[in-house]
Amino acid sequence: MSNAATFDTRTDTAIPVESPLAYSYRRSGAPQAGGPSRLQLRERAMLGHLILRGGAIVLDEAVRDVLGISLPGQPQALVQDASGERSIQWLSPDEWLVIVPGGEEFPLETKLREQLGSAHFAISDVSGGQTLLELSGEAARELLMKTVIYDVHPSNFPVGKGVTTVFAKATTILRRPSDERWELVVRRSFADYCYRWLLDAGAEFGINVQQ
Amino acid sequence: MSQSKQQVYRLNTGGRIDRSRTLSFTFNGQRYQGHPGDTLASALLANGVDIVNRSFKYSRPRGIVAAGAEEPNAIVQLGSSEAAQVPNVRATQQALYEGLAASSTNGWPNVQRDLMGLFGKLGGQFMPPGFYYKTFMAPASMWLTYEKYIRKAAGLGRSPMEADPDNYDHFNQHCDVLVVGAGAAGLAAALAAARSGARVMVADEQEEMGGSLLASRETLEGKPADQWVARVLDELASCENVTLLPRTTANGYHDHNFVTLHERRTEHLGDTAPVENGHRQVRARLHRVRAGQVILSTGAHERPLVYAGNDVPGNLLAGAVSTYIRRYGVAPGRKLVLSTSNDYGYRAALDWKEAGCEVVAIVDAREAPAGDWVDAARAQGIKIITGSAVIEAKGSNRVTAARVAKIDIGAFKVSGPVQELACDTIASSGGYSPVIHLASHTGARPTWRDDILGFVPRLVKGVQACGGANGCYALGDVLAEGVEAGIKAAAAMGHAVQTVTLPSAERLQQGSAVALFQVPHEKPTLRGPKQFVDLQNDVTAAGIELATREGFESIEHIKRYTAMGFGTDQGKLGNINGMAIAARCLNRSIPEVGTTVFRPNYTPVTFGAIVGRHCRDLFDPERYTALHQWHVERGAEFEDVGQWKRPWYYPQKVNGKTETMHEAVARECLAVREKVGILDASTLGKIDIQGPDAREFLARIYTNKWEKLAVGKCRYGLMCKDDGMVTDDGVTSCLAENHFLMTTTTGGAAAILEWLELWHQTEWPELDVYFSSVTDHWATMTITGPEARKLLAEISDLDLDRDSFKFMDWRSGKVAGVPARVFRISFTGELTFEINVQANYAMHVWQTLFKHGEKYGLTPYGTETMHVLRAEKGFIIVGQETDGSVTPEDLGMQWCVGYDKPYSWIGKRALTRSDTKRENRKQLVGLRPKDPKVILEEGAQIVLDPKHAIPMPMVGHVTSSYYSPILDSGFALAVVKGGHQKLGETVYLPMADGQTHEAEIVSTIFYDPKGERQHV
Repeated sequence: MSNAATFDTRTDTAIPVESPLAYSYRRSGAPQAGGPSRLQLRERAMLGHLILRGGAIVLDEAVRDVLGISLPGQPQALVQDASGERSIQWLSPDEWLVIVPGGEEFPLETKLREQLGSAHFAISDVSGGQTLLELSGEAARELLMKTVIYDVHPSNFPVGKGVTTVFAKATTILRRPSDERWELVVRRSFADYCYRWLLDAGAEFGINVQQ
Repeated sequence: MSQSKQQVYRLNTGGRIDRSRTLSFTFNGQRYQGHPGDTLASALLANGVDIVNRSFKYSRPRGIVAAGAEEPNAIVQLGSSEAAQVPNVRATQQALYEGLAASSTNGWPNVQRDLMGLFGKLGGQFMPPGFYYKTFMAPASMWLTYEKYIRKAAGLGRSPMEADPDNYDHFNQHCDVLVVGAGAAGLAAALAAARSGARVMVADEQEEMGGSLLASRETLEGKPADQWVARVLDELASCENVTLLPRTTANGYHDHNFVTLHERRTEHLGDTAPVENGHRQVRARLHRVRAGQVILSTGAHERPLVYAGNDVPGNLLAGAVSTYIRRYGVAPGRKLVLSTSNDYGYRAALDWKEAGCEVVAIVDAREAPAGDWVDAARAQGIKIITGSAVIEAKGSNRVTAARVAKIDIGAFKVSGPVQELACDTIASSGGYSPVIHLASHTGARPTWRDDILGFVPRLVKGVQACGGANGCYALGDVLAEGVEAGIKAAAAMGHAVQTVTLPSAERLQQGSAVALFQVPHEKPTLRGPKQFVDLQNDVTAAGIELATREGFESIEHIKRYTAMGFGTDQGKLGNINGMAIAARCLNRSIPEVGTTVFRPNYTPVTFGAIVGRHCRDLFDPERYTALHQWHVERGAEFEDVGQWKRPWYYPQKVNGKTETMHEAVARECLAVREKVGILDASTLGKIDIQGPDAREFLARIYTNKWEKLAVGKCRYGLMCKDDGMVTDDGVTSCLAENHFLMTTTTGGAAAILEWLELWHQTEWPELDVYFSSVTDHWATMTITGPEARKLLAEISDLDLDRDSFKFMDWRSGKVAGVPARVFRISFTGELTFEINVQANYAMHVWQTLFKHGEKYGLTPYGTETMHVLRAEKGFIIVGQETDGSVTPEDLGMQWCVGYDKPYSWIGKRALTRSDTKRENRKQLVGLRPKDPKVILEEGAQIVLDPKHAIPMPMVGHVTSSYYSPILDSGFALAVVKGGHQKLGETVYLPMADGQTHEAEIVSTIFYDPKGERQHV
């Protein structure tokens, strides 16, 4: 064990939870397009988010054993398991973002720590600190062009890529898990700003929020 | 359909206008008609509107001169309602739409009858360059009065007084090749690059792409050139890798091929954007383009000739005359005299004649002009007067005649008798100036080429110029340059080009041009009638000559003294002539004089496009905690802390009256001291630190010791920059032997994480430690006050016994059924538990606390109460008690400095400098006002002798000051020189209103000096 404190922040009772967008839905609503919409936005709330830090060689084997997918060694790479429910994204040379279904993060952390033993690494649970927004529809790329400075053209942003970039005046993690979907990982405290921005910028495309 | 009677200068055929439809518009309140395809300028000319403005300084009547962005005079105010007002629109670039309402930007009370005109006529003689500086600067106090009238007299448009209903936004674009300008060169370049598969963007500022080809008398492949344009545009539009942006001006060329484009999406449709599917369309869009390669095919601006009276309405550029005839079906007069220094100008006379109007004469400055167009003019029977120029235009509201004479350019004098030719229009051409503005934005000074009599851009990496922008004017050569630039740019981006076959252009014989930048007059420049160089800024040749005589030799100084190239014009029309005149007066060559620096933006950009959607409630991010909604519903007033919105205080309604801030804060303070209060402390920065060397790292980054901090314990830490000055503080807890949780100030969170990474990555990479921000993951609720334990015990399974869960311990357990880490740390001096839960559970825990807290008097408090309570305890706030010049010792916090730590720590060395050891440094003390009712002003200066003559020696200032409800007295923290040795002494605070407050220097701890309350 790495002599770090682990802490399961979730509780199994029926305690009400509020996603980072809970306030935003109440404040700004969730627009529904009347007719056909060119743009859909969906929050995938309450997922498990872990920040994994360490050397790629150190981490790779443990990640493969525990999660069944290999650690993306290439910069800006995003890998997913077959179901698409679990993913690992390269963030920096010794930093990865793991996203798993909500509740899996603590057992995953525990297993990884067991596997990694006394190696030098760090795992931080950030599940309460960020949320995942999913964009789809033919106008998604145009919306992103209004929003992020990074080049989102398919030739520069193929499926399986993920970057950290500027979102208006905030930052975001932007990733492309499939042809038709984009994902934004935004920090909880900025989530309302990001949501209001997306609604405003997406209005001309008839943005449709799925709750 | 019959033509509107008013359009007296409209030709019956020709042009790219739709005569089957009529649009009505108003200019200065008069109703006129035009056609789709018109610009406002072409429609005004069609209606015979000669005067479109009054000039800036002399208030002379001015008419339309050009047909594009270089138009200096037809600058109009647009908008049919107050909210839709747009200033400084060039009528030559504004498409006509039904209901367009425009007015002159200048002219008081109106352009036809201008009161300022009298002033201009009378005062004109007495208004040399620098007139305002010379006349109105003394006495200096009067400038504001003068300015009001000068602005009214000068003025270039006005801003709307109502909110803009339109939307604007930004697009971040990336491409391999950006082509600026879609004339012959640009289209050829775009076609070549597009066929390689490269990502190509084409921006063109006009209503239609095609540039001069849309109005050219030349053919391509034996057919009118615009047919080739249409074919190329069709192909480009069908390419997925090509983005075409018409009505889009490249306004700024910034470092690393970052180019800003301003796209006007709806300005050809109306003065506000149309609504579609319930959404108002985006009116203007700023494209922030990051291009691999840039091709500048921006063309060239024709240079007018500078002769006396060249500003009288009816004086136009030769090329503009052709454009109005061929593109807009308007001949802007009946009788033309053309004055030219080159072959290109002849086209205006040929077009004029073909339109069925009278060409009185072509006046050519060259002795023996020869070339295909010259021959064509001769064949048409047009009279050509050689070796001569129009030396003066006669007329006041419209040209009535041209005075023509032989000139000797070398000797700069009129060398023959003057003849007067009656006419209503004088077209002039002094050759072309490549449009080098964008290239100049990069800082690269242009190069003068004698062979083309113009500056060509000097280019930085990744950019090419082609066609007119590069000083290449023959159509066949322009196309070839364009294709070559396109191929090169695509290749540089790794794209190989397929074949591009050039359309065959006519090969025309051209005579060489003569350099003529100012036409001589019978009288010397300084005493003759005005010869305008910069029409928009009323700069004359005499003004430039005078400036050089007064000692202004640098072209940058001449520009600022005369205002040449200022305003929306940015030197498009007049700069080269002005520089050449300065060169003649200074007896230097043009390259020796050089150009002024062109700066962004090329044409005015609406603020809306610059702002995009970063306005109103999206102006800046607002960061919220997980409990924000509760605070809003509770009626909290918010304070901005960085980008966070933190509850400042919670005013209550008492007997129907809302509490003042003072009342609310007093109530909240007493609740904490006597019962229990709760603070949303989620905004504090939280950094998760893991690794076997975490403890060692903390010891190096903090000033104090960390080696003995046991698991389950917390410690306050102080951080210095390497200069020994305090930069952050907070509590760090030991979660496990190799695992710590650091808290930082709210505002410092991001910077401190970077600071840790910086030192780890650059100085101590050998330390095995990692940092991750967990600020947003945890919500932090601080319950504090004598009743805090009882409250927590009701909803927690933690053992809260004072001996097993001591002050500065942390424990984990459940609070309101939610896993929590609870820290017994205190910023109020009271018994405190900081409850941390995963943020998604925060609202539940907070509400549960309130459900149980009512009977204990649980009171939410904000940052103001937090500030008062911590100040009563003498706890510092970094950034309030400190300002980057305060050491731990200045704060009296030696207890928080590990002088004997084995490894050095950041700031240690700086604390041994003689300056940081100095005894009279400003040191933190408490201040107790002699009058307890006085709340000292934060920032107030402290003196020792209030009777000292002004300026008094100032020994310090107040850093924090509040009213303390528990002490029922004002109190303050302050920094005072040598303050630690001055306890008990009296100091004085002279205020701006003449009062002087008296205060005693006391300990910084005002309440519970032994610190017993937090240990209970």
